[in-house]
Amino acid sequence: MCGIVGYTGSRQAVDILLDALKRLEYRGYDSAGIAVCGKGVQIFKDKGEISSLEKSLPRIHGTVGISHTRWATCGKPSKENAHPFADCTGRFALVHNGIIENHRQLRQKLESEGHRFTSETDTEVLVHLLEANFNGDVHSALRESLKEVKGTYAIAVASSDSNEIVAARMENPLVIGLGVGENLVASDVPALLNYTNKILHVMDGETAVISPDSVAIYDESGAEVKRNPSTVTWTIEDAEKGGFEHFMLKEILEGPSSIHNSLLGSLDGVEEGEFLQDVGFKSVKIVACGSSFHAAMIGKYVIENLSHIPTTLELASEYRYSHGTKESPLVILVTQSGETADTLAAAREARRRGCRTLAITNVVGSTITREVDEVFYTRAGPEIGVAATKTFLTQLVALSLLAMRMGFARRQLDHERLRILKAELRSMPRYVEAVIDGAQQIEGSVEMLAGARDAFFIGRNINFPTMLEGALKLKEISYIHAEGYAAGELKHGPLALLDSRTPVVAACIKDHTYDKMLSNVSEVAARDSPVIGIGYEDDMDLRSIVDRFIGIPKVDPIFSPIPITVVLQLLAYHTAKRKGCSIDKPRNLAKSVTVE
Amino acid sequence: MKAVVLAAGEGTRLRPFTVSRPKVMIPVGNKPILEYVVGALVANGLRDIVLVVGYRKERIMSHFQDGKKFGARIAYAIQEKQLGTAHALSVASQFIDGDCMVVAGDNLIDGRTVADLLQNCRVPAVLVTESEIPSKYGVVQVEGERVSSLVEKPERRIGNVISTGMYCLNQELLRKIEEGVAAGLPGITHVLQALVSRIHVSAVQTTGKWIDAIYPWDIIGVNAAALSFQGQDISGTVESGATIKGHVSIGSGTRIRSGSYIEGPVVVGEGCDIGPNVTILPSTSIGNGVQIEPYTYISNSVIMNNVHIGSHSHLSHSVLDDGARAATGLMSPSGPAYAKVDEEFFKLENVGLLVGEDSVIGAGVVTAPGTIVGAGCRIGNGVRVAGNLENKSVVV
Repeated sequence: MCGIVGYTGSRQAVDILLDALKRLEYRGYDSAGIAVCGKGVQIFKDKGEISSLEKSLPRIHGTVGISHTRWATCGKPSKENAHPFADCTGRFALVHNGIIENHRQLRQKLESEGHRFTSETDTEVLVHLLEANFNGDVHSALRESLKEVKGTYAIAVASSDSNEIVAARMENPLVIGLGVGENLVASDVPALLNYTNKILHVMDGETAVISPDSVAIYDESGAEVKRNPSTVTWTIEDAEKGGFEHFMLKEILEGPSSIHNSLLGSLDGVEEGEFLQDVGFKSVKIVACGSSFHAAMIGKYVIENLSHIPTTLELASEYRYSHGTKESPLVILVTQSGETADTLAAAREARRRGCRTLAITNVVGSTITREVDEVFYTRAGPEIGVAATKTFLTQLVALSLLAMRMGFARRQLDHERLRILKAELRSMPRYVEAVIDGAQQIEGSVEMLAGARDAFFIGRNINFPTMLEGALKLKEISYIHAEGYAAGELKHGPLALLDSRTPVVAACIKDHTYDKMLSNVSEVAARDSPVIGIGYEDDMDLRSIVDRFIGIPKVDPIFSPIPITVVLQLLAYHTAKRKGCSIDKPRNLAKSVTVE
Repeated sequence: MKAVVLAAGEGTRLRPFTVSRPKVMIPVGNKPILEYVVGALVANGLRDIVLVVGYRKERIMSHFQDGKKFGARIAYAIQEKQLGTAHALSVASQFIDGDCMVVAGDNLIDGRTVADLLQNCRVPAVLVTESEIPSKYGVVQVEGERVSSLVEKPERRIGNVISTGMYCLNQELLRKIEEGVAAGLPGITHVLQALVSRIHVSAVQTTGKWIDAIYPWDIIGVNAAALSFQGQDISGTVESGATIKGHVSIGSGTRIRSGSYIEGPVVVGEGCDIGPNVTILPSTSIGNGVQIEPYTYISNSVIMNNVHIGSHSHLSHSVLDDGARAATGLMSPSGPAYAKVDEEFFKLENVGLLVGEDSVIGAGVVTAPGTIVGAGCRIGNGVRVAGNLENKSVVV
């Protein structure tokens, strides 16, 4: 999503602002801009990539500045709508992530007072508001202005006559990086890692004043907050490609070690209650968005199978507007980044309703970790590719461990079954690696999908959501229209769409739905659709009725979504590559969706 | 000086352990051989490293990435087809400006080996050592300190001093090697062979570590040599009643259950579940996510990642690759054996069982010393196995 970087120090700000901004490129953007304070505030911005902005820049001198990548939400992508914005006098430059909900009213008011607007954005009201409230001190002007604002934001302001950057945060990530004789502010940690690993988190409602030698953070009442910096342990190299053509492939290949890391210490915790100590809840509700929602759907099957605790699902963007029920379930929130706006709002709503909350997230110290009662970290390491890969697998592992804990603590899962499940999970890194090692077997299927305009992904039971995720992966990076469908629902509509040009990917695992799946596959084949079948490697029956067969190791069916997902990730990756798509930065998409 | 590490080869004679990894990624002491090589270079200040990769290159790139984690700056040169060491070097030439050190990525070396070449050499130079089987290598004849002749894999014994495949080369020689490649010469030794009479190439002896694995059973010896760490480093949980003696390292998230007896040098990876009452004797490496059930005895062996060994099993001088699973009562004692690789027979003094990745072995299986089970095999209950099993064999 949008990215913010600010710098104040003794070096030329342009170089640092552009370099740091590039670290946020992976989040997706449509325009970029920069403001440097030297002789007045100089602003350069345009639609398009950072590198083209960089080429168009004249030499600008100045050691204080801010920069921004924009992902259009209010007003189309254009030069006018790109950040930073200046006030009427050109004294301030301002960048903003988030949404100002009452921008229309504010704009009307400001326009009637004579302010001239140059864009269609909600952000621009902030800088004019700042101008209106300015009385010699930028920080108090910003604080005054924010009192009139309804919405969410991370803001950074630079001024022409000062080396200070003033920043504010409400429900949008903002971090300060502490250097020597220089300080930075950014919307995300990777932007800072080239310069420092000492980080100060800014919390909701707080404002900050950043100069080359000092940083002060103030709470809503205006009192200064003392906070110790934290040290980021992962370094920029974790976030770089290391020889690989795409982050997505690198990250798929990191699946086995991510799973290994997320199991470390947690396997014993199932019996010892290192997590979910108290299992006295009557039901579970899992709330998530996007790929995390598919993980949640699989989680529902696993929890109900292993613990018999009734489990429901809700999309975070819907849950927040739904009605509470009498019973208060354990609410599990799944978000890779811990910053997904809808999921954060859902966490707050769940707590307001008096529910116990648990978050499954990958990012230590992310906003959601401060909003919930308990956190389960997936420890997959940083994920840069927009398409979730290794983090999805670790979400499945996390949900499985929680389900095993619930089943064990509620005496629904006996020691014998638990021992087998634990051994299976312990072997999971190898099962996944075996799928990756055998990647050449998907070659023919890639061929088939790359030539298609539409594709269907079908499965039953626990692998129905797996196939939804497979379809999502194909859609998001290869731009092929793909639909995930419960195999039993085919006859209620989609069969009409099948023909020899529409390949169908089917997951057929030997569980209680196997025979039904085989008949669905035959049904599809009878419509001349080419079928790609995914099943256990020794499944000769399936192999004989499909056009392309992809084998996975014989894992317990309850964990089969993990290796099958890896197959589907590899399929999507190689199909997109064959089609020449922009794999790490698919059009119109962003990594973590911090708008609602 | 930059270093070029040749890591593109498959190591076909090491099958089944190279089915899905290049030879340099075979783990000994729980680290790929290549990691020891990179460590030895970095210890001598050679941080700029070009890895020439090819066969299963993703495994290498995934592990080493850009090298920062290992204190190095790693660039990758891709050799699509493995056409020999000279060709591999020519692929890397775009990254090299001045002199460079060339190292084979599949030999276990330590910092001293690199230091010997670095400190004593007058470029160009080749590092030499003595070998009991010189016919497998390039044999070097030395006059004073100058190489007088070099013969690749001589059929008749002409000496026991061999090239370690480690060189310091200058731009002139690098150009000659490129010319040699153009003329169809595959190996660096083939190129040098023709040049040593005209160009002064010095031979440097090493006292450091230099161990090669050519055949699958060699992994056992290379592993023992790699376990040279000192002291105890225990991050996991050792239950009371378990005994840990000697140099032993136990990774985080691993549980050593009561009554187990571990005598080092032994390294156990992360997230393992071992015991109760398991005995692990010296020169054994156990990877990550391994489960070893009660009353099992393991000695002088390499157990790789995510292996599962059932109760009451006996393994000695054995290698089990990733994801291998043995049910209860696998009996694999070691002893003298004849083994066959590529139609060549070998008389081995002491070897147990060698198992490729993901093979599944039933209950109560007995294996003769020197048995090689390929990758992805299925062996039924109560079977006696001897000889070589192809990949994906099924034995009932």
